[in-house]
Amino acid sequence: MAAAADRRFGIGLLTPIGLLYLFFLILPIGFFLSMGFFKYDVFGLYKPELTGENFARLVVDPYYLDIVALTLKLAGLTTLFSLLLGYPLAFFLTRTRSAWRGALMFLVVAPLTTGVIVRTYGWIVLMGAEGIVNKTLIAAGLIARPLQILHTETAVVIALVHILMPYMVFPLISSLAGQDPNLERAASTLGASRARCFLEVTLPLSRPGILMGSVLVFTLSAGSVVIPQLIGGKDVQMMGQSIYELVLHTLNWPLGSAMASLLVLLQFSIIFVYFRSNRRVRR
Amino acid sequence: MIARETILSLEGITKRYGDAGVVGPVDLTIGKGEFLTLLGPSGCGKTTTLQIIAGLLEPTDGRVSLSGRDITDAPPPQRDMGLVFQNYALFPHKTIFDNVAFGLRMRKVARTEIVDRVTEMLRIVGLPDIERRLPDQLSGGQRQRVALARALVIRPTILLLDEPLSNLDAMLRKRMRHEIRELQQRLGITTIFVTHDQDEAFEMSDRVALLDRGRIAQIGTPEELYDAPTTRFVAEFIGDANLIDAEVVSADGRGLVRLRIAGGSEMLARTSALDLGPGQGALLMIRPERIELADAAAPGTLPARVRQRVFSGERITLELDTSGGPITCTKPSLPQYRQLDPGMQVWLQPGDCRALRAS
Amino acid sequence: MSAADKAGRRGWFGLRLSVFLIYVFLMGPIAIIVLSSFNATTSMAFPPQGFSLRWYGEFFRSDSFVDAFLFSMKLGLCAAIGATAIGFLAAYAIVRFGGRAREAAQSAALLPAMIPHILISMSLLLALNFVPVPDFTVLLAGHVLICLPFTIAGITASLDGVDAQLEAAAWTLGASRARILGEIVLPLVAPGVLSALIFAFIVSFGDIYIALFLAGPGMTTLPMEIFSYVQWESTPVIAAISTLQILLIVGLGLIVERLVGLRRIMRF
Repeated sequence: MAAAADRRFGIGLLTPIGLLYLFFLILPIGFFLSMGFFKYDVFGLYKPELTGENFARLVVDPYYLDIVALTLKLAGLTTLFSLLLGYPLAFFLTRTRSAWRGALMFLVVAPLTTGVIVRTYGWIVLMGAEGIVNKTLIAAGLIARPLQILHTETAVVIALVHILMPYMVFPLISSLAGQDPNLERAASTLGASRARCFLEVTLPLSRPGILMGSVLVFTLSAGSVVIPQLIGGKDVQMMGQSIYELVLHTLNWPLGSAMASLLVLLQFSIIFVYFRSNRRVRR
Repeated sequence: MIARETILSLEGITKRYGDAGVVGPVDLTIGKGEFLTLLGPSGCGKTTTLQIIAGLLEPTDGRVSLSGRDITDAPPPQRDMGLVFQNYALFPHKTIFDNVAFGLRMRKVARTEIVDRVTEMLRIVGLPDIERRLPDQLSGGQRQRVALARALVIRPTILLLDEPLSNLDAMLRKRMRHEIRELQQRLGITTIFVTHDQDEAFEMSDRVALLDRGRIAQIGTPEELYDAPTTRFVAEFIGDANLIDAEVVSADGRGLVRLRIAGGSEMLARTSALDLGPGQGALLMIRPERIELADAAAPGTLPARVRQRVFSGERITLELDTSGGPITCTKPSLPQYRQLDPGMQVWLQPGDCRALRAS
Repeated sequence: MSAADKAGRRGWFGLRLSVFLIYVFLMGPIAIIVLSSFNATTSMAFPPQGFSLRWYGEFFRSDSFVDAFLFSMKLGLCAAIGATAIGFLAAYAIVRFGGRAREAAQSAALLPAMIPHILISMSLLLALNFVPVPDFTVLLAGHVLICLPFTIAGITASLDGVDAQLEAAAWTLGASRARILGEIVLPLVAPGVLSALIFAFIVSFGDIYIALFLAGPGMTTLPMEIFSYVQWESTPVIAAISTLQILLIVGLGLIVERLVGLRRIMRF
């Protein structure tokens, strides 16, 4: 049958990706996440005994509780500042008639393509004890001794905002570009001031973009490892980094897995909230 | 009509689109060398039917047979049909030569034979010397011919044409009608043509199947469809028709009935609805150009008053009011008809009346 | 009217100023890296003191960095080819045979982009403890995974622009499904496929999360080498390497932009 042959062909096309996802994504991740329910074993990876103690420890042990709380705080701040900086940028890019629009657009994506490491390195050069900011301030006679900029929460948030902002800008551009500029014009002919016009027309209509961007930035920052590790160091511990430490240095796979499950749970609950509120907006 | 050997037949072909609608059941046979047109308004199922014939769509139900062989489940490559698409669907990255040669290459025809056949076919469609060009360097009419050449070069058992003229301008469209028909007769190739344009259908076809909401409303030669429509839809879709509510006075049971319209006038009409009996409601159909005008009352005439006269060069259209309702009448633009002003009284002598079942 | 106009112009000017500052923030660290790579002295002084290419020389003399660079190139190429090939087949299946399940299939295909990369790599690392798979295979599979969402998104967008009637035409002319894919579809979406290839290479080349966990002995990627270096010391060699990487990637990015536009790939 023609349709059956089509189906076979379609399935054939999907076989490579299906096998790859099954054996290298779904099964390993399922296995890794289920580790969280097993007992820790100093000599093996885990003891085949079911337990809830790993999760209990995350919520009870103040050390891990702090990490979770700090992750939420920094991810929240990162999202907030990405939005505050990303919105004007996206607004400008969708409304400008400049010939440079394409190039400016490219400059927003370009940093994303250079990889996390290179950009993080840039911030180290800037913010280190021997870094440019400190040297400049000392040379100007404003401070006597280098300021502690690296290894602070502020530094981590700055770097995260810098690295994740494109993920905020692009959804915003999509939602702002989809708007009919005549709406704004109509509102202003009706006597609305620019500010009111923005607050009552543009902003509510860009809500899907704000939500999408916020979800992306929040989940990506909560799961990041390299920036907290390099810029935050031992003083600023976030969940992604803590999973890394637990698995690679402490070799406590069950606890690392429990932490990862918590992270995934966090991300998916945010995505869930996003879809719910998005549906409400559409209605 | 010449009796032809059946080459393709559709039996109970049905296509269901979820809750979006149904096409069919369609029953259809086409004879060898015949030019058949599937005519109908958009959404009537004509393209769906064509795609089922080509094997691009699978029918939900029914059977397609080609020369007696069941091909319902055969994929297009096993059908040997040449299909010309509405937008021509020329491969934009291949030269005209490669476009036309494509089907031959798929059939593993020898290289030298490919060159010969492609060259020959491009000559036949009147486009020599453009082999090296790309499709977007051609005009719409040229692309149309290339598409035709590409479909014909594989010597298909049936040529399928899906609204191939609708993207051309009016002048070219008229010329291509004749070219395609002439080519079809020269090659003697069985052809199924899909269009929504009645003029195209009539000028080109041996037979026309008029489709309405997924079913064949009527099938026959253009003359049959025009002269003897069986339903209101056919009468209205093909040409212009005056349709007047009437009541059957008497019927001879062999296709002749006497009808009475509002106001009491009676007329004789032919019908294909042999079961129409006295007292039943019917529709009286009169073609606008079959009406004679008289200055005085006579038996079988219908009194009317001129409401409007529209002059359009070679033709004059008269809008008339009768006891049965408004009637349109077309006349050649001769002096006697130019003098008919609104308000004047005339008598109509309708010819070739048809009685249709009341819808 | 003119007062409102003036206020509007002032608002627009304020917006342009803040946009300018945001660009300074976005581009600043990258510009600093590039500038400090030409510094003549060891220190990270800014503005740079003197111009020299000595750090570039140092990079090329360092076996570990050159090896890492070459390994990253090799891995990036393999991953890009793998992700593009698999992604092309999957995207075609989604676009032409997806039917009503298309949205769901597309979301499923983008799964690796929705999961933190660290989770992918740690899970694979864990699995390695139980199933012996060659190190390079796992590393490559991990990179193909993180590149796939980008190749699929890009190629799907290109395929949407292909007229399905061309394929139907080829089919009625006797071409098999596989021939149609190779002779009609692939040439038509070649720019999209090529840009997906380049983009996948960029993603693989910049990756740290997968490589950090899965790279076996002798498989140090450039970002890994920089990462381990930066944790302990800061030398302008890193700036030189980073500059080279930026040049390579911006160059490739410009090609992609020319071919189809980066925005189409980014929006998924």
